[in-house]
Amino acid sequence: MIASPSSSSSARGSKKAITKPGFKDQAESKWRTAAQQRIYGRRLIDALRATAPSGPHAVKEASDSALALTARGQSRWSRAILLGRRRRPSCKFLLKARRGRRQPKPPPPALKQGMAASPEGKKVSDRLRVLGRLVPGCRKLSAPSLLEEAADYMVALEMQVKTMRALAEALSAASLNAAEPGS
Amino acid sequence: MEPPRSSGVGIDNSGEYSPEIAETLRFEEEIQSLIHPSSFDGSAAPTGGGSFTALLGLPANQAVELLHDSGAREPLASRIRVGEHPVHRPFHLPLDCSSAFPSNATLVDRAARFSVFAAEGSPASSSGRLKAEPQDSDSPPLDPIPTGPAKRKDTGRSKAKVTAKKSKNAEENTDGDKLPYVHVRARRGQATDNHSLAERARREKINARMKLLQELVPGCSKITGTALVLDEIINHVQTLQRQVEFLSMRLAAVNPRIDFSSLDSYLSAECGPVTVRNGPGGVVVDPSLWPTDATAEATRRLLVPQFWHIDLVPPQLQPQQSLTTWERDGAAHSQLLPNPTTSLFLYDPANSGDTNVPHRTAKLKTAEDRALNL
Repeated sequence: MIASPSSSSSARGSKKAITKPGFKDQAESKWRTAAQQRIYGRRLIDALRATAPSGPHAVKEASDSALALTARGQSRWSRAILLGRRRRPSCKFLLKARRGRRQPKPPPPALKQGMAASPEGKKVSDRLRVLGRLVPGCRKLSAPSLLEEAADYMVALEMQVKTMRALAEALSAASLNAAEPGS
Repeated sequence: MEPPRSSGVGIDNSGEYSPEIAETLRFEEEIQSLIHPSSFDGSAAPTGGGSFTALLGLPANQAVELLHDSGAREPLASRIRVGEHPVHRPFHLPLDCSSAFPSNATLVDRAARFSVFAAEGSPASSSGRLKAEPQDSDSPPLDPIPTGPAKRKDTGRSKAKVTAKKSKNAEENTDGDKLPYVHVRARRGQATDNHSLAERARREKINARMKLLQELVPGCSKITGTALVLDEIINHVQTLQRQVEFLSMRLAAVNPRIDFSSLDSYLSAECGPVTVRNGPGGVVVDPSLWPTDATAEATRRLLVPQFWHIDLVPPQLQPQQSLTTWERDGAAHSQLLPNPTTSLFLYDPANSGDTNVPHRTAKLKTAEDRALNL
C-alpha cells in the first residue's frame, strides 16, 4: 500500500492541514486534497482490477472499501465498512436480515432523546435515526457524534464520486481510443 | 459517567500538599469572607466544592486571577488527571478535564489579560469549574472574559445572579474536539440548574455540528429549522450514495471492454504478492507468465492506470524507473518485477517497441489531466 501521501502532496503542492482547529476543517482538509484523491484513485484502480469480472455490486463494494481504507480507520463509518467487508458475504447478508428484524423496535436510542429539549423533537429524532441508517456503522450513535460522522462521510462520498467519475470518463475515453485503431 | 468531584482526589493527596492545602484554605477563607453569605451555598468543602461557590461570589479581580492561575497551572492539572502529583494543585480539576484543558488555555489566556494580580494556591483548581459569573456590579472588567465557565454536572448549585454573556468559546471548545466538559455560560434570565445547563451544552454541541453540515450541503444555509436541514442532509447523502452506485455500474460496464481479465493475468505476473484488499481473490503469482500478445499489449497501453500512474506512482516506488520507462523504450522487464506496486501501473512500452506509444501516452495524459483536475 502506498503510504506516504505527504510526498505526493508535496509534489502536488497541496499540503494537508493536519492541525487545523475544528473538526469540520479537519474533515474537509482531510478529504479534499488532491493527494487524497490520487491515493483513493490508485486504491480504486487496484480494487477494480482485482474484482474485474464481477458485476456492478462488486465494483461498488470495492470502491467503498477503498474509500474506507483511505480514511485510515479514523472514522467510525470507515471502520464499520472495513469490518463488514472482512466477514464473509454470507455473514453480511445474515447481519442485514437481523438488522431488518430489529427495525420494528420502537424506542430510539435514549441518547437521541436525552432531555427532550426543543430542537430534539420527534421529527428531528426520526431524521437522526434515518441518518444513522444511511451512514454505515452509525445506527446507535449520539446526535453530536452522528452529525460529525455524517459530515466526514459526506465529504468522503463527494471525493469518491469525483474520483469515480474521473476514472469512468478516463476509462471510457481510453476504450474509445482503443476502439479506433484496433478496429 | 460523570466523574466524581475531585474533592475526593484532593483529599487523597492532601498528605502531599499540606502546605498548599493550608494556603488554599487560607485563601478559601478570604474568599468566603468576601462572599455574601446568602450566595454561598453550603458545601464549603475545601477540596473544591466550596471553591466553586466561592468563586462565584468572588469579586471580579480575584475570579480573573483564579482563572489566570488555573491556566498557568494547566500543564500540572493535566498531570493531576493522570494521577501524578502536581506541585501546586491540591485541588483537582474535574476528572475529565484533560480534554477541557485546551479550552481552559484559551479561556485563561483571555482572562490573563485582565488579571490584576497573581496569587498562589488558588483554590480555583478547576477553572473548568468556574462558572465565573461575577456579579453585575463587579463584572464590567470581566465582560470580555466569557471563558472560565465550565459546566458542573455534579453540583446542584443555582446562583442568585448570573451574568449573561453568550459563551463565544463554547462553540470553539465543542468544535475543537470532543469534550466531555462543555464550557457554557448561562444566558441572562435562563435557568442555571444542572439539567438545563447540560441540555444547553448538548444543544450547543449539536447546533455547532449542524451548522457545519449545513455548510457542507449546498443550499442548506437558507433553511431554518433542524428538521428541514436534516432532511436536506439526508437527501444529499442519499444522492451521493446513488451517484456512487451509478458510477460503479458505469465502471463495471467499462471494465470488460478494457479486458481486465487478461490484464489481471498479465498483472499478476508482474505483481507478485499484491495484496488484494477487498476480497478473498488472491492474485496468482506466476512470474513465468509474460504474455507477449499484441492485443494484450495494446490493451495494456490503453489501460487507465497507464496514465494514472504518471501522477500516482509515489516517489519512493522508483519513480525514475517508471518515468523513464515511459519516455525511453529500453526498459527491461527486470526493472519492473522487483517492484510489485509500480509494475501494476508500469506498462513497458519497450515490450512492443512501438514508437506510437509516446504519442498515445500524451493523449492519455491530457485526458487524465482533464479528469483529475476536477
